Amino acid sequence: MSDTKTSEMRFLPIIGIFLLYPFLRIFLGEFMTGTPFTALDSAFLIPLLPIAVFPVIAIVGQLSNGEGWWRDQFKEGGIIALCTLAISLSLTIWLAIEFFTKGASFHEPLEWGLFNWFTFDTIGQNAAGDWVHIQISNSIGVGIWIDNVSMMLLFVASFLCFLICWFSIGYMNTDPVNKDRNHRFYAEFVLFTAGMLGMVLADSFLWLFIFWEIMGLCSYLLIGFYYERPSAAYAAKKAFLTTRVGDVFLLIGLLMMYDIYGSLEFAVIFADPSMGGSVDVSMLRWSLIMLFIGAVGKSAQFPLHVWLPDAMEGPTPVSALIHAATMVNAGLYLVARFVPFFDVTSHGHGVEGLSDVAVLIAWIGGITAFMAALIAFVQNDIKKVLAYSTMSQLAYIFTGLGVALWFYNHGEHHAAVIAFGASMFHLFNHAMAKGMLFMASGSVIHEMHHAHHHLAHGEGDHDDFDPQNMRNMGGLAGKMPITATAMAIGSASIIGLPLIGGFWSKEGIVAETWNAAALHGGTELLIPAFLILLTAGMTGFYMTRMWMMTFAGKPKTEFADHVEEQTPWIPTPLVTLSVITLVGGFALAVLGATHWLGEAEALGTLVHEHGIVLAILETLVHAFLPTDAFLFMVTWITITISLIVGPAMAMRIHGGKLKDGDRAPQLISWIPPLSSKFGRANVDELANSGLADALHRRLYFDEIYEWAISKTVIPLSHALTWFDTNVIDGAIKGIEYGSQKISRDVRKATTGSASDYILVAVIGMFSILILLWGVI
Amino acid sequence: MMFGNPLTLLTLGPIVAGFVFLFLAWASPPSKREEISHYIRILIFSFSLLLLSLSTLMFLESYSGISWTSIGLNNYVYDNCANADVALEAGGCSLIDGFGVSWHVGVDGLSFPMVWLTTLLIPISMLVQWDAKKGAQFHSLILLMEGALIGVFVSLDLFVFYTFWELTLIPMFFLILLWGGDDRKYAAQKFFIYTFTASVLMLLGILVMYYFTRVPVWEGNITGRAFDVTLMAASSNQLGSSFLGGFGMQKAVFLLLLVGFAAKMPSVPFHTWLPDAHVQAPTAGSMLLAGVMLKMGAYGFIRIAVELLPAALIYFQWLIVILGMISLVYGAFVCLGQTNLKRMVAYSSVSHMGLIFLGIATMQPLGIAGAIFMMLAHGIISPHLFAVCGAFKHHYHTLEIGSMRGMAKHSPWLSGHMMAAWMASLGLPLMAGFVAEIAIMIAFWMAFGWLVILPALTLIITAAYYLWSMQRTIFEGGEEGELPESLHGEDPVDITWHENAGMLVLAGFAVLLGVLPFIFFDMMSAYSGEFVSQVLLDVLNEVRP
Repeated sequence: MSDTKTSEMRFLPIIGIFLLYPFLRIFLGEFMTGTPFTALDSAFLIPLLPIAVFPVIAIVGQLSNGEGWWRDQFKEGGIIALCTLAISLSLTIWLAIEFFTKGASFHEPLEWGLFNWFTFDTIGQNAAGDWVHIQISNSIGVGIWIDNVSMMLLFVASFLCFLICWFSIGYMNTDPVNKDRNHRFYAEFVLFTAGMLGMVLADSFLWLFIFWEIMGLCSYLLIGFYYERPSAAYAAKKAFLTTRVGDVFLLIGLLMMYDIYGSLEFAVIFADPSMGGSVDVSMLRWSLIMLFIGAVGKSAQFPLHVWLPDAMEGPTPVSALIHAATMVNAGLYLVARFVPFFDVTSHGHGVEGLSDVAVLIAWIGGITAFMAALIAFVQNDIKKVLAYSTMSQLAYIFTGLGVALWFYNHGEHHAAVIAFGASMFHLFNHAMAKGMLFMASGSVIHEMHHAHHHLAHGEGDHDDFDPQNMRNMGGLAGKMPITATAMAIGSASIIGLPLIGGFWSKEGIVAETWNAAALHGGTELLIPAFLILLTAGMTGFYMTRMWMMTFAGKPKTEFADHVEEQTPWIPTPLVTLSVITLVGGFALAVLGATHWLGEAEALGTLVHEHGIVLAILETLVHAFLPTDAFLFMVTWITITISLIVGPAMAMRIHGGKLKDGDRAPQLISWIPPLSSKFGRANVDELANSGLADALHRRLYFDEIYEWAISKTVIPLSHALTWFDTNVIDGAIKGIEYGSQKISRDVRKATTGSASDYILVAVIGMFSILILLWGVI
Repeated sequence: MMFGNPLTLLTLGPIVAGFVFLFLAWASPPSKREEISHYIRILIFSFSLLLLSLSTLMFLESYSGISWTSIGLNNYVYDNCANADVALEAGGCSLIDGFGVSWHVGVDGLSFPMVWLTTLLIPISMLVQWDAKKGAQFHSLILLMEGALIGVFVSLDLFVFYTFWELTLIPMFFLILLWGGDDRKYAAQKFFIYTFTASVLMLLGILVMYYFTRVPVWEGNITGRAFDVTLMAASSNQLGSSFLGGFGMQKAVFLLLLVGFAAKMPSVPFHTWLPDAHVQAPTAGSMLLAGVMLKMGAYGFIRIAVELLPAALIYFQWLIVILGMISLVYGAFVCLGQTNLKRMVAYSSVSHMGLIFLGIATMQPLGIAGAIFMMLAHGIISPHLFAVCGAFKHHYHTLEIGSMRGMAKHSPWLSGHMMAAWMASLGLPLMAGFVAEIAIMIAFWMAFGWLVILPALTLIITAAYYLWSMQRTIFEGGEEGELPESLHGEDPVDITWHENAGMLVLAGFAVLLGVLPFIFFDMMSAYSGEFVSQVLLDVLNEVRP
């Protein structure tokens, strides 16, 4: 164990060297070519390096599996992956510096063309009905396009992927189950990272889709990492197919988009989405709806959400990576790219009459937020709670985006900017918090597993002890100080505890939704507005419930009593993300992240104008004391139910003091005693009710889908297979048999062997030729 | 010099060499047969690599500075009759004076990718089945096959084309008959008779066109006609609707050709020979069958039916859409119902060939280029699929889906290849198949709008049968997996180095063409663009109501 500890320390300076890489590039570039390299020139390396490293880890790992140097020095590929991601991260940071120094934004994005993917012509009928060329030598290009939103997501993705890779070295390599197959994990991990980074950098909807699918593949591979488990193999397939359904619609949306604009590149489309007012609005509407269905599939929204909970079959770092921090954000990113189509304010060239699409997005978001929170109430698997929480929080962002698009389409620029910025900011906060929560849950599971393994002396591997079940835990706050603190901070951010990360963005989304629904006449948005307000309280309940069941009260099993926080590589990312969640959200809020993401102001405008103290004050006043009385009310209702009602109810059911002698870490030592103050509620009756049962069975979605498939696709495939062998091939066999019989009768000499057939063929050919010669 | 041409070398070289090696293998004394066989195989393999490097050199333009994207319609590069002193019309490269048969070879953006593909697949299929029984004969037959296949793609004289077309059947017939599975006799005969019958229909169509192609009579030409496709194309272009004596005859010939080529591709309902032939064929045979032989159908269809009879193509557009759509959708559903891995893969070929028809039916330059790219992409991906199936048969002695579980544990390389090939075939981006799919789909939407729903939804079914088959062979099944009974207690093994090497090359090219499709796409696009702007646009405007 001490060995791994020192190896982590040894590795730190190497990371430092990689962070220096950009400066080396600048220096060398200037030294060798005379012109300075810009970060943009190297930006294509951000996804390309991980892609290139993927086969290296996979093949080298397969060849040198089990050898000492590979296992100890290279951590079965983990070190290679980590170095690659370090380079990607440092390039991203370098790019961000350039982005801010150049003052780039949506209207002046950083653009960089790579090459033409392929070239082609298209034809069509003109107004007179003549067939003419529409495009000659048109190419689909490959390039990079970076604006505020993609810059933010690029940072989130590369930063979190790096931290999660770090975490994985502690999590994966210390578990004997994974021995000699971690190279597969790291190979797929870097490919996945490449997919996410590539998608964010892509300069066209087509390349967005391409990397989108690469992520789908990696998700499939990583969920099925423990392929020998039937449940994992099933979950992987389910995830791929469910998202594939969405992807197919996305693809159709792309085809329509291409037909409308003759290109899929952002630069071309966003220049004037209305095409001077001549765009076919109904086709554009359908195209956007199709794209949105793709986003629904990827971001696990109702009704294509069924894959996400099952996806927890993958190792925990995968859950952190894909199903919280990065991949599920892809759908949000795609919807965020809708803004130019909707923006009919003086800032854009949008198309009027699309607000029904915006309402659809908000509705799907509202329904999913509520539904997922409801299901999260009854989950006992720590990762499943987080999975549903992810679904619910993503739905918040969808609602916010829907509202933003609605505002854009109604020409309300200011409100639209706030709603959009808040949604994107929530994406950031959620990604940071959820990545950390999953890693913290991984830490818990890892140590539970360890304790169980240790106590059972390796013999208990095959009993049905579930290290993920929260009913086996309890009281861990005293055993795992870092994890417990991180989990508390992350939960607080998700709940929306004032001043911490998620609060700033969630408040914005709820307030703007109500703003649209109640103050701007958007009555069609009232139901989503109600649903997300309600969900705010429910979030308070299920997140608190999760923390309480895991960390508060007395240990529920002897294993939970023997847990120790000892694995190296794991705490570092948790601490980093805790700090970011705790103070980063506030800092960014003061800097005006919401306005910046909404493309309204440069980052830090407020601080520049008023100085730091006034800026903080103004931010606080703006958040807690909105001038509009109605919004003031909404804000405080949200705070009250999410912070007091929900958590208090959870504490009544699951709270409790720690075991005597155990002490929770300083920062959160007040929570377990507080939780025991609310008395105890007995919910057995409710837990055995039909509603709870329905929630346990995830509201029957899986059953309905499976039933539908088993009644349509499967019988059809069997029927067609029967048809193929008996009717089509049967007919052929009939002819065959008949002609064979005739030929047997006519020419007894035929032996039926192959050479005779060739002979007949040759004779036939020559006779036809001779015939021809004679005739002509 | 009529025969002094790299294409002639590519065609006749392997045929001659194949016969020589076959004779050597046959004539070697029994006592030293093993040793001699070993050297013969190495010689054959090096020879095929030589041909691959020749075709690659041709592609790299270092041979004679060719721009592959600026070949005019009805013009060919490496054309042996292009010089004035061997003018085609004067019988300059006449082969059989009496009939107007010439040795006329040349390649363009449509045929060159197929030629290159053939030269690539031959050494790979040899490599994958390096340890075949009677290896010397086996590899000699494959070499023979190479010559015949390239002959189909390069010959511009339909008589020679037809000869090579039928010649490909003979080595394939023997590959199935002598190295095939248990039911090989039936499969070989079915394969032969079926495709032969279809090609007789095609021959009939060719003969009608021959009859109507009158050319300046050169010395010794008794019939006053020629089989040359360039002459026919010129005639078709010049005569327009009166080509072949009238539109009625054009339609009839088009249908004859369609049936002939559809059976080869194969398209539903002429496809049932394919699964039988594949299941019984040896691995290398399957790889070539799926990789190149099916493309002969698509190639012939574009080169002869589409290029020469554009008006009939427009007239029968609906028929081609229906054939393509049925092949695609029906093929995918039948795949879902298969229990044999190789049968499933065979039906997936049917499904993918449907996309080629759809691409052609869009009559968009993009769609046609996509269809041609599909030929190339499928030509690289499907051999990979069949190599994986062959490895299962070879090492586990079974192809039943569900008879084994969790084989990823025992055969990590094989499972990796299965994953790569399966993903490539279901259209994963950054692999070759996706480029073809997206090109065809974009064109399809432009031509038919919402009808694209059907092919798009088929993508889900495609993913479903591929994933399901993987789940039930390499995944699931506990720590040690469930070994198939057919192993009879043997230890499960992974693929051998030569199988692995061959498959890695295929995977590499699938990715290369998926990431940088312009390598081949642009020349295909140039070809289809030329065809559409020179021929199809005019015809479309003529028949427009």
